[in-house]
Amino acid sequence: MTTFVFVTLLCVSMLGYALNRQAATKLRASGTRLHSVPGYHGLYSLLSTVVPVVVLIVLWLVLQGPLIDRFTMSGLPAGSLDEFDAGGRQLILTEIKSISRGRIFGNPEAWKVDAADRYVRMHVVAGWLLLGIVIVASLGIVGLARTRVAADFRARHGVERITSGLMLFCSTIAIFTTLGIIAALLFESIRFFERVPITEFFFGLNWEPQIPLREDQIAAEGAFGWIPVFLGTLVITAVALFLAVPVGLLSAIYLNEFAPSRLRAFAKPVLEILAGVPTVVYGFFAILVVAPAIRSFGASLGIPVSPNTALAAGSVMGIMLIPFISSFTDDALSAVPKSLRDGALALGATRAETVLNVLFPAAIPGIVGGILLAISRAIGETMIVVMAAGLIASLTINPLDSVTTVTVQIVTLLIGDTSFDNPKTLAAFALGMMLFVVTLIINVFALRIVRKYREAYD
Amino acid sequence: MMNDMRKIDRDTAVSDTKIQARDVQVFYGDAHAIKDVSVDILDKTVTAFIGPSGCGKSTFLRCLNRMNDTIDIARVEGDIQIDGSDIYDPSIDPVQLRAKVGMVFQKPNPFPKSIYDNIAYGPRIHGLARTKAELDEIVERSLRRGAIWDEVKDRLHEPGTGLSGGQQQRLCIARAVATEPEILLMDEPCSALDPIATAQVEDLIDELRRNYSVVIVTHSMQQAARVSQKTAFFHLGNLVEYRETGQIFTNPEDPRTESYITGRIG
Repeated sequence: MTTFVFVTLLCVSMLGYALNRQAATKLRASGTRLHSVPGYHGLYSLLSTVVPVVVLIVLWLVLQGPLIDRFTMSGLPAGSLDEFDAGGRQLILTEIKSISRGRIFGNPEAWKVDAADRYVRMHVVAGWLLLGIVIVASLGIVGLARTRVAADFRARHGVERITSGLMLFCSTIAIFTTLGIIAALLFESIRFFERVPITEFFFGLNWEPQIPLREDQIAAEGAFGWIPVFLGTLVITAVALFLAVPVGLLSAIYLNEFAPSRLRAFAKPVLEILAGVPTVVYGFFAILVVAPAIRSFGASLGIPVSPNTALAAGSVMGIMLIPFISSFTDDALSAVPKSLRDGALALGATRAETVLNVLFPAAIPGIVGGILLAISRAIGETMIVVMAAGLIASLTINPLDSVTTVTVQIVTLLIGDTSFDNPKTLAAFALGMMLFVVTLIINVFALRIVRKYREAYD
Repeated sequence: MMNDMRKIDRDTAVSDTKIQARDVQVFYGDAHAIKDVSVDILDKTVTAFIGPSGCGKSTFLRCLNRMNDTIDIARVEGDIQIDGSDIYDPSIDPVQLRAKVGMVFQKPNPFPKSIYDNIAYGPRIHGLARTKAELDEIVERSLRRGAIWDEVKDRLHEPGTGLSGGQQQRLCIARAVATEPEILLMDEPCSALDPIATAQVEDLIDELRRNYSVVIVTHSMQQAARVSQKTAFFHLGNLVEYRETGQIFTNPEDPRTESYITGRIG
């Protein structure tokens, strides 16, 4: 039914387009000077039909479900709901709906079958009603738009206003989604802090989110100090950057300044492929190759190494970040004007001196921005650490120990059967909130640095 | 003193040949940009290269300090000697050559560093100063030679990019002389400057002649006439005529030179 409604709308609005365009063409043929070309008169009719009617349809479809549910329930025989509470009524409604779809379990009471019949009928009526309203409304708008075709009617301005309104709407979607995410995180975090003291979360040195699921279960009380978890994230991020920053910078400098053009043409796309490898594949690589290698190397030196070390997860994450940093650096170096390069070379500077003393300082803002964005990626990275890092939060900065990260804890807290009113689950939202805040701060910082120093040369 | 176009007997006391080029060819890929150019450039003299756009004068200038090496597809043939040694000899390090042959570019290109560091950059990488005091002295001397000391002496640690266009260009000239070169190449040094800044730079070029051999590429024939003692006219990759400036502008030998300076080609 909905498809049919949309097809009808499309047909009517196309009709409006043709009508207006034809009318305007005729007007022009008769020798009148039009303000807007005929195409704009057509588009004006089309857009002013489609936009409001689509909004109407969407609103209708959103409201129709709950309204019909409510009519169904209020239409039940008097007294049949008296013995049920809110949850019970919800169950009855669900049963009625499944009967209406033909899935009947056992022998439902006659009043439920009646209600299901009415439910189906109401849906059919609503569908036809919608179609009727859409036809009337769109034809009405088309007719109205047709009467506005005139020599001095500013159809082009109308079209521009409508399209800029559409663009404004699209650009606000991302903003409102972000706000929605923040609100959701904040709401759940507040619920968490109602159960766990805020000081424990921020200053606690223990993270043991075991909470008894049932009253009679014997389990630890649970401890929710985020410091060891966040420390784990920091250790892994530090290991990753320790690998990615020098390798990424040097490879970008080599490719940009020293590599023969043929090598560059080959190596740059390969580096970019590295950026496209799914992180779950990096995760495989970490647990199957890197972690055993580190372990056996440690064993040969007589150092005890735990099976899932921060070093393994961090170094693989570092490999993931190399193309990120090198492509930012490469862009920043390429953006340095050629005249600066020539100026340094003409003074008798070697290529290395030119890069180090002239190009690099000029490119610093872009490079720092890239590194900060890489940091926020490392902090938020999930898949590699879920596969390769540990689960136990330990207060250590030794990269050969097993550590856990904020993202790993969020995943493990939310996997499996969880009830959404105990601190164990809500802790995930508090952690998510903190992750969001930290990466937000880093991103803002990165943007500020990039903006502030962008015009340092030229 | 500025030279006057009408003066034929110029101050061209016999001086030594500084650069000797013989049968120089330059190719950009398949394009033959410079054809059989032979020229002797004198010491302590301003030599101007003039000619229409694309005639190869900048390309030839860039051969003299091997800046064409930085262009992958450029190939230089022939023989260029500075003080009797072949600069394209494999034993010559282009980095050392460029320290001896300074260059100033068309567009001022100060580094995004302080004025002081802009000047000190060359002396630092070539180890010309052993102490901070020596470096300070080199910076001051270079800025004085660049005729910009009085304007910047109170703000040596502000960025060089904050100066005006004419000041930036004089800063770049000061930067080039700071490495104590023997030859100074200037590739249209005034084309991005206003008339006042141009006059300042031209005065400066005349000053520089005392210590250096200066080669200047210019689009402006008036400028060539004002600042140079010798002028070379390039056309389509050929060196058409190379004589004393006064003669070339008053009594050109080649009909192409005459057409160009009278405004009929170019």
